[in-house]
Amino acid sequence: MRHRLRDPITGLLFVLPMLVLFLIFKIFPTLGVAGMSLTNWNIGGEWDFVGADNYARLVNDANFWSSLRVTLVYAAIYVPLVVLVSLATALLLNSVVFLRGLFRGILFLPYVTSFVFAGLIWRWIYEFDGLVNGVLAKLDLAPVAFMERSELVLPALALVSCWKGFGYSMLILLAGLKAIPGSYLEAARVDGAGPWQRFRSITLPLLKPALFFVLVIETIASFQVFDTIYVMTGGGPAKASYTLIYGIFERGFRFWEFGYAATWGMVLFAVILIISLIQRRFVGRGNT
Amino acid sequence: MTLTATRPAAARSDRRAAPPRRRGGKWALYTLLSVISLLTLGPFIAMIIVALSPRGEPTVPAQWPDSLTFDNITQVLNASGFAEWTLNSFVYSAVSVVVILLTSSMAGYAFAKKRFPGRDTMLWTFLATMMVPFQATLIPLYVLVSDFGGADTFWGLIVPTLANSQAVFLMRQFILGLPDELFDAAKVDGASELRVYWTIVVPLTKPILATLGVFVFLWHWNDFLWPLVISQSDATRTLTVGLTVLKTEELQWATLMSSAAVSAVPCLLVFFLLQRYLVNSIAMTGLK
Repeated sequence: MRHRLRDPITGLLFVLPMLVLFLIFKIFPTLGVAGMSLTNWNIGGEWDFVGADNYARLVNDANFWSSLRVTLVYAAIYVPLVVLVSLATALLLNSVVFLRGLFRGILFLPYVTSFVFAGLIWRWIYEFDGLVNGVLAKLDLAPVAFMERSELVLPALALVSCWKGFGYSMLILLAGLKAIPGSYLEAARVDGAGPWQRFRSITLPLLKPALFFVLVIETIASFQVFDTIYVMTGGGPAKASYTLIYGIFERGFRFWEFGYAATWGMVLFAVILIISLIQRRFVGRGNT
Repeated sequence: MTLTATRPAAARSDRRAAPPRRRGGKWALYTLLSVISLLTLGPFIAMIIVALSPRGEPTVPAQWPDSLTFDNITQVLNASGFAEWTLNSFVYSAVSVVVILLTSSMAGYAFAKKRFPGRDTMLWTFLATMMVPFQATLIPLYVLVSDFGGADTFWGLIVPTLANSQAVFLMRQFILGLPDELFDAAKVDGASELRVYWTIVVPLTKPILATLGVFVFLWHWNDFLWPLVISQSDATRTLTVGLTVLKTEELQWATLMSSAAVSAVPCLLVFFLLQRYLVNSIAMTGLK
């Protein structure tokens, strides 16, 4: 305790490098995005304070509402898909012993690659002369233009992200499953509970914290999808995969309307903040 | 002796009696796991076959290629910019790993073991920035960095990505668990603060530093959006961005698949060398 009295200066010095990085590259841009959304900042760096003009424009921007809808629809497809796949694979892995490490490794493999990598490969898979249509042709079925049909593009993109990312959630859920005492399941089995009953009354309730954690991080991930869209669709066809983040990118770096792009950024900020606060409220204690 | 021999045998037969059709169940599990594993590996296998197929000749999915060649790979390796992008990705990832490990372990040490004014406020602020999505601050961050001449420079690419709250938190949590006596004893012996950091903190946090290092490497190697907006020429362009530029110049799938395959080699190496390690650390640390 005595030595702690000398700590203030050294403590500050040790925090200093990261603190400086934070103030400049996290805190300042976070405040900056709110400030810029109130200006007409453009590529030349000139700007005027325009009050809530950008927000008024946003509310009347059909593009914005469409992007918000696309983002929500994508999340509504991706989140259940990835949670189901990771839960199913975690359950499967948890019920085998022989070769478990091998299967776990294979299923986790895509996670270490980049979304650009995944996007490139899957662009070919969905292509006319690609893997899926090749299989369809073998079955004498008509080819499907996955990337050119508005109703198919979001499920197709969700599948790519799921392939690339489910290994992570699978591992979280697998750890959750391993933490369930075997004696509970054993006792239920002795009492004559079937597999489904055991799953519903023991596994699922005890897995809830891990499931909720996975649900939240995957929801946040679904709102942040960008790389695969950039590589595979460019927001198309007819803006059917034009998400909020794609909007920020295009407003900022195609039209160079930084002020208006920042306004789109504020919406993304608000959406993710709400999800994070829900997370904090429910699983703030202990997970991670 | 007979007693100890019969007891487990009886228990075992009990257990076997409780769940019927166990054997068939195991087969079903393994079949299902194998199918899912094949689906997960499928894109990788198809990518490798296409990458090794002679350009312009029929290949999967229409038919198996008649011969395999490394021509596409060598062509990609010699393609203009490719070597430069790869080197840039290495610089981006390696510098980030070193600096983030250093600054986050220093900050983590101070937050865990020092008392200084504003400590809790700082910690709380670091935590709060985790809820701010990077994409929301993209516009102000870009304006800030390019105003200081950071567009298309290495410092502009790397430095803004070094502010990493996940890393600070992980280090703080880990160092919090180290006994205070260690640090007090070192100070009683007259060790300087830097010496304490270098001879106690760093060696004792090696396992967690290694885990963090692997993740930081993967995050940066696979990073896309920030390099996409801040790099404008081959001088600072990273591999992920390069792949999307290559895309517009080359329409041959064999070339694209080869470049994707080459780009993923470091990640796959990390995976094959450190798989067990990565897999175990995800559930433990919650890093994503």
